[in-house]
Amino acid sequence: MARYANPEVLVETDWVLANMNKPGIKLVEIDVDTKAYDAGHIPGGVGFNWQTQLQDQVRRDIISKEAFEKLIGGAGISNSDTVILYGDNNNWFAAYGFWLFKIYGHKEVRLMNGGRVKWLNEKDKPLTTDLPKITPVKYTAAGPNLELRAMLPQVFEAQRGGWNLVDVRSPDEFTGKVIAPPGMSETAQRGGHIPGARSVPWSTAVNQDGTFKSAEELQNIYIQQKGVDPKKDTIAYCRIGERSSHTWFVLKYLIGLNNVKNYDGSWTEYGNVVAAPIEKA
Amino acid sequence: MDHAVRVYENVFEMLPSEENPTPMVRINRLNRTQDFPLYAKLEWMNPFGSVKDRPAWAMLQDLEARGEVGGIRGVVEPTSGNTGISLAAMARARGYHARVVVPNKVPLEKKILLKIAGAELDVISDELCPAPGLGDGSINLAKTHAKASSDKYTLPNQYENEKNVEAHFKTTGPEIWKQTQGRITHLFVSLGTCGTVTGTSKFLRSKNPQVKVIAVQPTEGHDVPGLRNVTQLGVSKLFDSSLIDDILEVDFRMAYKRALDLSQNEGLLAGPSSGLIFEGALEIISRDKKGFGVMIFPDNIFKYTSNMVKHIPGLGAGTSA
Repeated sequence: MARYANPEVLVETDWVLANMNKPGIKLVEIDVDTKAYDAGHIPGGVGFNWQTQLQDQVRRDIISKEAFEKLIGGAGISNSDTVILYGDNNNWFAAYGFWLFKIYGHKEVRLMNGGRVKWLNEKDKPLTTDLPKITPVKYTAAGPNLELRAMLPQVFEAQRGGWNLVDVRSPDEFTGKVIAPPGMSETAQRGGHIPGARSVPWSTAVNQDGTFKSAEELQNIYIQQKGVDPKKDTIAYCRIGERSSHTWFVLKYLIGLNNVKNYDGSWTEYGNVVAAPIEKA
Repeated sequence: MDHAVRVYENVFEMLPSEENPTPMVRINRLNRTQDFPLYAKLEWMNPFGSVKDRPAWAMLQDLEARGEVGGIRGVVEPTSGNTGISLAAMARARGYHARVVVPNKVPLEKKILLKIAGAELDVISDELCPAPGLGDGSINLAKTHAKASSDKYTLPNQYENEKNVEAHFKTTGPEIWKQTQGRITHLFVSLGTCGTVTGTSKFLRSKNPQVKVIAVQPTEGHDVPGLRNVTQLGVSKLFDSSLIDDILEVDFRMAYKRALDLSQNEGLLAGPSSGLIFEGALEIISRDKKGFGVMIFPDNIFKYTSNMVKHIPGLGAGTSA
């Protein structure tokens, strides 16, 4: 059976249970709705709020290097620690955190396969409401490594060919039937997709229990079925950059494509740009 | 207790049974087909206002009998509202607490009612882009409370609890059989946890295997609280397709249109899920021509006035000075 291109980036829930109390292992839950963390988290895990702690609160951007250092050091995580990320919504926001950790050069970072839902549904996996005792440390970030991030000019450039553009939103968002899932406050002026993009919804990459599909299945889906060309550079996008982080993780680390970028501006940027070309259906 | 006199020592004595069934009312102006009389079973006549009184009471009785609730240990439940209202009101009247987790899209009226009934309320973001099989956020948050704070909460879990089915097998089914004197040919229901359809169908089929069971579901991406499209049914362990003859998919906006029709033509102040079921029943009447239909109307319209304004054009007009 083929292995993932970078199997070390993924840990299973059983591994976390066996290793969570070891020195140098730091657990971080990243949620869009931190009610989940408050209601119960893996013992020893700290909780990050994607909206308020991983986003700059003034301009639309990822947090600055200084803010990242303050956040991570304040959570008691040092540069040499192995960080295990997991979260709600099938690890979308944890995958975004993984992307951010890599942008700021953290070496040992992993995703817990299946996220908090898998842990929750396994009888032998404990949850607690106790907050971890944290001793803040000094953390020094590297980077930022902006090779991992696509900005709007590159998205326009990618439309001229030579790139894979992967739209990971739901089919109705891709066709423009809806601009965003119902009830979302972040939206756009127009519905549709970036010209030339292929629709591969994020959920294509996961099994019924939320774990990632096998290396063969992922290769087959993205490369053979959906026509993502491994020889080309790739941009993944969604609505606000969280679902696309999940697919970015799959393409870059599990399939092992070169140069995969997450376009975190995604549809809420592109679909608002005056005169930008859009395809529907 | 004497149901004829209707004087009770506590509210729980009012809960439905074969001797004290919820009423069935014939549809007259909106169904002129003489060969296919159609009755609505008015579940909002239950003491806590919906069909969910039945499973809520069955689940709580079971938990009490097993010593799982009482004192500081209450219940936590994922709900679109009705089960939570029943559970919270019942739990408080029995001396313990209830926490409920609802999706944000549940109408404000239901959220307020939950608080009035005494529930601790968690409101969570609606599903953004769900993947099949992964459960939904409200179920997962309720499970988290039950796992992380097991000293405070136990999870009845209407989506998996066989008592949900049993409640309908023991009450709804026998009531309908007795009320129709065995004449029922078609049962019309909606799909949510699937406790109603599974329990009621099992009973009715045990009496007459020919009874047709029609489940009516809203279109995908719907806005009818409490109901599930078949694509969302993975969360319910109680769904048994062998007990259902037809699953009709109806444009969810018809739920609101038909609820209005029922109010304005039959005097039945039925909620949107009842409206959806009624639309499905009309389709089957026009297909099968002959029969004796019973629709289970889960609740009334009072909790959905804001949703009605959203989905019935012009309804909100002229309501302010």
